[in-house]
Amino acid sequence: MKFKAFVTDNGVNLLEKRFLPALEKTGKSCHLYLTRDHALFLHNLLNGDGVHSVAQFRKEALFHDYRISSNNDDRIAFALDLSLLLRALRSAVAVASEYSASASSTRLEIKLVKKLSPNSTQPMPFLTLETRGYKSAVIQDIPISKPLSRAQVTELQSALDSAQDLPPTLVQVPDLNQLLNLVDRMKLVGDVVNVFISRHGDLSVQVSTTLISLGAEFRRLVVIGEQTNAPSEDQNLSAHARSSRSISRGDGQSVQVSVKHFAKSLQCHLARPDSAFYGIAPQGSCLTVIFQFFIPGSRETDKSISLHCRLPVLDPGSG
Amino acid sequence: MSHSGMEEEEAPDVICELENVQGLVEALTAVRWKRYQDAVLELSEHGIVLIVDENGCLQAKVYLKRELFIRYDYKARGRPRLGVSLGHFVDCLNAFWLPGQFSVVQIQYPGPDMQLLLKSVDSLDSSICAEIRTRIPDTIGWDYNFEPAGANPLTFTVKSAALKEAIEDLEWPGSSIQIILEPDPPSVTLRAEGHGDLQIDFMYYVNSELLVAFQCDHRTSFKYKYKFLRATTSNMPSSVIKENRGSKLSIGRGGMLKVQHLVSIAKPSVSHTYVDAVGYQQPGRIAHIEFFVKPEETED
Repeated sequence: MKFKAFVTDNGVNLLEKRFLPALEKTGKSCHLYLTRDHALFLHNLLNGDGVHSVAQFRKEALFHDYRISSNNDDRIAFALDLSLLLRALRSAVAVASEYSASASSTRLEIKLVKKLSPNSTQPMPFLTLETRGYKSAVIQDIPISKPLSRAQVTELQSALDSAQDLPPTLVQVPDLNQLLNLVDRMKLVGDVVNVFISRHGDLSVQVSTTLISLGAEFRRLVVIGEQTNAPSEDQNLSAHARSSRSISRGDGQSVQVSVKHFAKSLQCHLARPDSAFYGIAPQGSCLTVIFQFFIPGSRETDKSISLHCRLPVLDPGSG
Repeated sequence: MSHSGMEEEEAPDVICELENVQGLVEALTAVRWKRYQDAVLELSEHGIVLIVDENGCLQAKVYLKRELFIRYDYKARGRPRLGVSLGHFVDCLNAFWLPGQFSVVQIQYPGPDMQLLLKSVDSLDSSICAEIRTRIPDTIGWDYNFEPAGANPLTFTVKSAALKEAIEDLEWPGSSIQIILEPDPPSVTLRAEGHGDLQIDFMYYVNSELLVAFQCDHRTSFKYKYKFLRATTSNMPSSVIKENRGSKLSIGRGGMLKVQHLVSIAKPSVSHTYVDAVGYQQPGRIAHIEFFVKPEETED
């Protein structure tokens, strides 16, 4: 089992400034899953609860001289602590910038190693970051879990495959930051948020308790997938009336998710996506958020980067 | 009776709109001295008064004059009173205050189910809504009628920041604070005895920049519970300190202490491109906050 690559400047930038800070909010530890062509950061795919989050990079987006081999179809997966990886990357960047005056560009190598740690007799697996400067090299070892077994990797891959289905209707969220701000206040009110999405571009989020309800409503959002025009007779109704009419007509759907999970999904704005879409999976099985990244300077989707989250739906009784 | 009259929806008691949610949140937070606190809102043609009371020993009022609102439609007969949880009210209002955004919040009472309704009214395509369940407030059992102690008022005005600091400093000695007003030389003394003694003197002639006004014709001294005094300044809005405002303290009959702060609820001006320079700092855009503290015991 071998993995070795150099992180590109763009890769360092993507991870250090954008994705790792965002992913860290979803959960401190995650699985890093490396294949021949992709590197994926996966949250909670092997356990049922929590926000499922999948950040996928084509190898060229992060690395050059990417070499991987394993007897499991060149696939390697292990768990690691994102905050340690982020810290190591930051110090690597700091080291590199110190040497940037020198002509030769610094190289940041990332590889899997086994080392004997001070207090054990068994060699332990590490992800090592090595920054070579002009005169010195800085090596940082990040402890990781034992690589996942063949069965676990298969399980991870099948969880990943089943997570690829798109919700039939997706609405574009206008301002993630603003919504996050609101959801942070909602956390004070209750634990469960009701999310309603319709085919005519309505999105409403609401937290209710016996004493109080707090929510936001967005209308005429951009819709991707199945869409219909809003019936004109609904225009002047209250948000609540419109959503219940829409649900009974079948062109809208609502689910309940944890406010905390919802806030985590919004934290992904730290990865600076160019747009974000919310949708409800068929049969209301989960709330899906898909983030879109453009190729810098264009309005074209960057297919080498993808990020999406799936929020488990609470059954109405458990609220 | 005309038919159309039957169909007409009854207008709510009050619909008002406010531009500076942050200012309102700060003013209300100033009278929130514990997490779960019930408040009574009193509506009238002059504005809204929010009243908070603790065991008949401490009462606070926030006066929101109708001039603070950009719209104030009052239709009620009499003066409706409603009870709400202050915490919920503040938490909800907070949701309408988005950093870097200018938002107008509409407050309406009653809703279809006697709720207090809050709604943002900036845009047709996105809105924030909140509903707060109200309750029928208890009948007033308070006797906070503040009456002057004698022919001449006993009052002093001290810089709010200095007052807050002095009260914070008095925390360690004990649970009870004595306020002494002395006409000659004119001075105010805050004194705490307990685990130790601590006395803070404001001399009118020495600290004129702190003690900006003073009126007292005979020595007066009353003791107040520390936690109640602390409540009068603990959540003082940062804007009060920033604007270097003064707080007015008066002692009335029986030693009833009145503490008054002024909080500006001006239009937010920070980094806003279209600052209405004239509209800023209008005297009408000030909320008055009053605390009434009953003394521990009478001393003559």
